[in-house]
Amino acid sequence: MKAAAKKKPVSPVVVIIYIVLALLVVIYVAPLLWMLCVSLKDNAGVMADPFGLPKVLHPENYAQAWSMGKLGAALVNSALVCGVSLVVSLFFGSMAAFAIARMKWKLSEAAHTFFLIGMMVPVHCILIPLFVRFAHLGLTNSRFGLMIPYITFSLPMTIFLMTGFFKSMPGELFESAAIDGCGIYGFFFKIAFPLARTGFFVSGLMTFVGNWNELLLAMVFISDPMKKTLPVTLTYFVGPYATNYVQMFAAIIIAIAPTVVVYCMFSNQIVEGLTAGAVKG
Amino acid sequence: MDKILKDKKAIFIFIAPALLMFVLVLVIPICQMLYYSLCDYAALTPPKFVGLANYKKLFFKDSTFRFALKNSVFFMLFSAVSQQIVGLGLAVFLTNIPKGRNFFKNIYYLPCVLSSAALGLLWAFLFNPKIGINALLAKFGIQGPLWLMDTKGFIILPMWVIAFVALWQYAGQNMMLYMAQITGISRDIYEASYIDGASKAKSFRYITLPLIKPMMITSLSLNCIGSLKFFDLIYNMTQGGPNHRTEVLATELYAEGFNYFKYGYASAISVVLLVMCLIVTLLIKRVIKVENYEG
Repeated sequence: MKAAAKKKPVSPVVVIIYIVLALLVVIYVAPLLWMLCVSLKDNAGVMADPFGLPKVLHPENYAQAWSMGKLGAALVNSALVCGVSLVVSLFFGSMAAFAIARMKWKLSEAAHTFFLIGMMVPVHCILIPLFVRFAHLGLTNSRFGLMIPYITFSLPMTIFLMTGFFKSMPGELFESAAIDGCGIYGFFFKIAFPLARTGFFVSGLMTFVGNWNELLLAMVFISDPMKKTLPVTLTYFVGPYATNYVQMFAAIIIAIAPTVVVYCMFSNQIVEGLTAGAVKG
Repeated sequence: MDKILKDKKAIFIFIAPALLMFVLVLVIPICQMLYYSLCDYAALTPPKFVGLANYKKLFFKDSTFRFALKNSVFFMLFSAVSQQIVGLGLAVFLTNIPKGRNFFKNIYYLPCVLSSAALGLLWAFLFNPKIGINALLAKFGIQGPLWLMDTKGFIILPMWVIAFVALWQYAGQNMMLYMAQITGISRDIYEASYIDGASKAKSFRYITLPLIKPMMITSLSLNCIGSLKFFDLIYNMTQGGPNHRTEVLATELYAEGFNYFKYGYASAISVVLLVMCLIVTLLIKRVIKVENYEG
């Protein structure tokens, strides 16, 4: 097909499609670049000419935003909460997925459905009961407390994707291992675990990004400014009295930079893994 | 071999941690929420059973809730339709161009992985009455509207603005899912249809569309539920204002629960939200399955 496309002369339809796609690229990229541009101006410059390039660069905006928004602490908190949630949810999720995909028991279909229903439940529904319970247990205002719902809400996605990956593994692998005297835990840790690396990568990235951007739970559960995560600290800059635009944009850039970097590094793998998982489901 | 895979103890050990978390963090709190929704419960006092009073107030006396419900339904319908069309359109375009597929795909998907909270601040600024887009329009002598503060019409302008920003951010998700499905369709089917004299449009209608229907269930459900629980963008763009006119269920729930500490009342709102999610999911499954293409 690709060879055939190259031989054909470019049709006008394709040209129009390219023009539309290029226009969309502008719509997608322009706001982000403009944000970068504003973050390097001073406030007077933004008011006078919001769309021009900065005449004098003001990198000190970033330093000010960093200290004013306590972004350093927020970055550490986000990394800690999301990192731990990532590891735990991958481990628990892949264990459950392995039992569902590979082991033989009557309720495995039911268990799969049960976990997938979790994807439909909006986090808002458990917000109040969980907050009340955690307040009793002293888990509010603690990073550990925030990890618990993050792990739980990462599980459905992880189980969904990992079940697909485990199911696609050839059964002979396990059979020959069984002949060599490998038990069920050996199946999981020595065979399935190392072979599902792509699956871990994809589901890990998906859940990590989701938790990294999560706002509502973090806002409700954490009130100590030193324990807040990145999206919450950004809300310091909102509101009718927030007029320090350049700092706000510097803070936004700092907040989204890690995601952009990770995305640029792995975008093709993300896309491929997503495809693999989605088609199987 | 079978004996190893039927090991009851191992199955239990594998399932237990995930199941335990699910029960503790999802199942029990949902039951509690159902109970709270029937109570008068204001943070500091213990919950007091009042029957359906919260729901009565919600549906008959609360004008903010009416705005929120209307906006949520509008937002869901608009997002579902617009994101499906744009997502599918992009997927079809991208699978039909000879070069640059990855480049375009990566750019359109980028906003999906960025924080809505951050993007909300960006767009709130761009739709500011004076600076931003209106400053650009002013250069051409056009007086821009008050994008995020106008309150005229049944669906007010700010809701449209937010809905378009959401389309901008999340269309890439559908594009990705559909591209996965379309590239999975065998090329032979298309070649055969071209030999039989089918046009591109016809092959789209009779080959692509029926074969991507299973994906439609997934992506449509994700769209609808995602837009029902939408919170971040609205919170950072309008905070529900002006005068509660851009409130959606999620923002009203947050305000009632954590600004006014009316836990019982907020629980009633979350019951409405949960029921809507369930209805929509079941409806999508039912409707699309009936038409499902066999063969």
